Amino acid sequence: MTRELTYIAAGREGLAEEMAKDPTIFVVGEGIGARGGNFNTTQGLYELYGPMRLRDTPIVERGFVGMCAGAAMTGTRPIVDFMFVDFILDSVGEIVNQIAKMQYMSSGRLKMPIVLRGAIGVGGSSATHHSGTYFPLWVSTPGLRVVVPTTPYDVKGLLKTAIRSDDPVMFLEHKLLYNLKGPVPEEEYTIPFGQAAIVREGTQATVVAIGSMVRRSLEACDVLAKEGISIEVIDPRTLSPLDINTILESVHKTGRLLVIDETAAPCGIGGEIAAQVMDKGFDDLDAPVKRLNGVFTPTPYSPALDTAIVPNAKTIEQAIRDLLAE
Amino acid sequence: MATEIVMPRLGWTMEEGVLVEWIKHDGDMVQPGDIVFTVESDKALNEIESFEGGILRIPPDSPPPGSKILVGGLLAYLVQPDELAPFEKATQTSSPVPRSASSEETSVVGAQHASPAGITSSTTRNGNMPTISPRARRVAHELGVDWTAIEGSGRTGRIVERDVRAFVAQQPAVSPVAVSPAVTAINISPLAHRVADELSVDLGKLAAAMPGKRIERADVERFAAQAAQPIAPSITQPAAQGMRAPIPNVRRIIADRMATSAHTAAPVTLTTEVDATELVQLRKQLKAQAGNQVVPAYTDLLAKLVAHTLAEHPMLNARFDGDDIVQSEAVHIGLAVDTERGLLVPVIRDAQAKSIRQIAQTSADLAERARTGKLKPDELQGSTFSITNLGMYEIDAFTPIINLPECAILGVGRIVPKQVVIDADAERVAIRHMLFLSLTFDHRLVDGAPAARFLQRIKQFIEQPYLWLIN
Repeated sequence: MTRELTYIAAGREGLAEEMAKDPTIFVVGEGIGARGGNFNTTQGLYELYGPMRLRDTPIVERGFVGMCAGAAMTGTRPIVDFMFVDFILDSVGEIVNQIAKMQYMSSGRLKMPIVLRGAIGVGGSSATHHSGTYFPLWVSTPGLRVVVPTTPYDVKGLLKTAIRSDDPVMFLEHKLLYNLKGPVPEEEYTIPFGQAAIVREGTQATVVAIGSMVRRSLEACDVLAKEGISIEVIDPRTLSPLDINTILESVHKTGRLLVIDETAAPCGIGGEIAAQVMDKGFDDLDAPVKRLNGVFTPTPYSPALDTAIVPNAKTIEQAIRDLLAE
Repeated sequence: MATEIVMPRLGWTMEEGVLVEWIKHDGDMVQPGDIVFTVESDKALNEIESFEGGILRIPPDSPPPGSKILVGGLLAYLVQPDELAPFEKATQTSSPVPRSASSEETSVVGAQHASPAGITSSTTRNGNMPTISPRARRVAHELGVDWTAIEGSGRTGRIVERDVRAFVAQQPAVSPVAVSPAVTAINISPLAHRVADELSVDLGKLAAAMPGKRIERADVERFAAQAAQPIAPSITQPAAQGMRAPIPNVRRIIADRMATSAHTAAPVTLTTEVDATELVQLRKQLKAQAGNQVVPAYTDLLAKLVAHTLAEHPMLNARFDGDDIVQSEAVHIGLAVDTERGLLVPVIRDAQAKSIRQIAQTSADLAERARTGKLKPDELQGSTFSITNLGMYEIDAFTPIINLPECAILGVGRIVPKQVVIDADAERVAIRHMLFLSLTFDHRLVDGAPAARFLQRIKQFIEQPYLWLIN
């Protein structure tokens, strides 16, 4: 049976199912206890599992992330809920230098089954301290899994995989997707990492869209389809590991590639995908690989500017037209 | 690294040439300096020598001898002994190795004793090589397409995949003859195939005439019978069955030049009768003294004399060049020579500086090689004034057509003994050797009176050859 759930409810359901099965799973964060999380990520779970497994913390990211790293080493499965992922930056030393490296340094004797989750992205005038994605930081760190689910179905299936993973996982949920509704089966399922979704099939160009850009790309493609323009849209779902093969197969078919990411372009996932396609799929390219990115700037608070600095359906449509004209 | 052999540019105006024959053949070793093939261009038959060494590889789809090929058109490759020619690579590899544009040198083949124009033809084509997307290049290789001639539709003129596919798609439609080598692709019965061979029927043309149908014996025979009919049969005059053949290269060039001259110049022809007795006398003396040397023909004497006169009348040695009129100091005399292949006009350079003997030797050599088709392209270019002599056909006066961009041409008639009045008052007549000269000049460049004074001066020099000595 499949019902419609919101993105946030689907993720919460996945978390609840895993917590019910595995008593070593616990959640740490600010306001995730009785309050149920700023984005309702843990709503109702406090009543079920109490303060031991839904641990509210003071505002001290480095402290509780380091604590969770130690807990993971001792065999529990912590989930750190950051609300806004921007504040993860206060614990980067723990994440990059300890969490991501610990399995390697212990020759695999220690596992690091920890999920670091939070809301990413520009939206709702969150201003520059609450709007980042920081993909380049996480994707370039060996030892981290980086997951960017974009549908209710994906968020549940991927969160379960993340919780069961013995590797540390950066689980990044776009705040504009939280209220998105979509079908979610009642049956148990998980989604493996490293498996991109072809969310729209097409023949004339490939669009790889990250996070909230997937929905906007689909909107743009609907407009273009009315003119008979056929675009394939790929959602990588996990940025590390990256399913480059699905992208390469698509480019082999279409010959053209546009990577869309609201993160600013420098050293980003678009550049990385472009380089890999250039390397492995050069002879399939009928045009230069193009990127469409958010503006290279701190995110403004002004609602008008806040939406203007990231790609939207209109600018995506134009970028696709430009790519086809190459 | 395969070297491309292309149709060289053998003259400034040359746009295409006819590949006459391969002197070297597919698989032959070529040394630098070897003659590889011959080209008919700009009125001359040219032996083309290779500047590079290697093994000659002629692709199966290379244009056959006799075909007209644009300058720069690919004819063959020179490869190293253990190297595959590009067309072999394309058929051998299933996932073809992309051909790098810069890994191929182009056209190190030029005309023998290359003229400046010939040298420019050997510059590489890489400078203006079209750009192509990696994918389009891959597809071109898979389809065996030479993409260098495709026009790209990408934003920057880049050739993209759709251009290659469109190019391939239009090939059979544009030129049905081009597919005739691929006879296997034609739907034909084996018997009809054999009959077609026997009757020398072009299956490509036949297939194009009946698209989508299987060719059977009766079709071949009917086609062969039709082909045997004259193309434009005359109903009322069966005897008028003539010959129809493509315009030979030389004839086409002559036609173009003559038509251009007739349409653009403002020609006026002046004729005058000249007493050539002294000139005849002079030639007699030269002949008696010649020994083993070449005896100057009347045309040679006239060439020298015209060169001399042009020095005094430089406006007749002029041409238009853009917005300018250029008067040439040097006199390069074009001599009209009748050959089996048509009219050729080889050039005696710097006639003003050559002795009569040198002119005689040069013109004899040029005329001989014009008749045997061995002139080099630069020997057919650059004349500043032309002379045409029809005296041997008992022609007196005529209206020559100006050899553009020259200003004028002198037509020479026969020299014939006539009874002429020497002194009217004394009522004295004598038998003199008389000659008509016909000067056609371009009234755009020069007016009638100066042209007449020029012709008068020539007349004076012919009648009193010793006047030359003064200058």
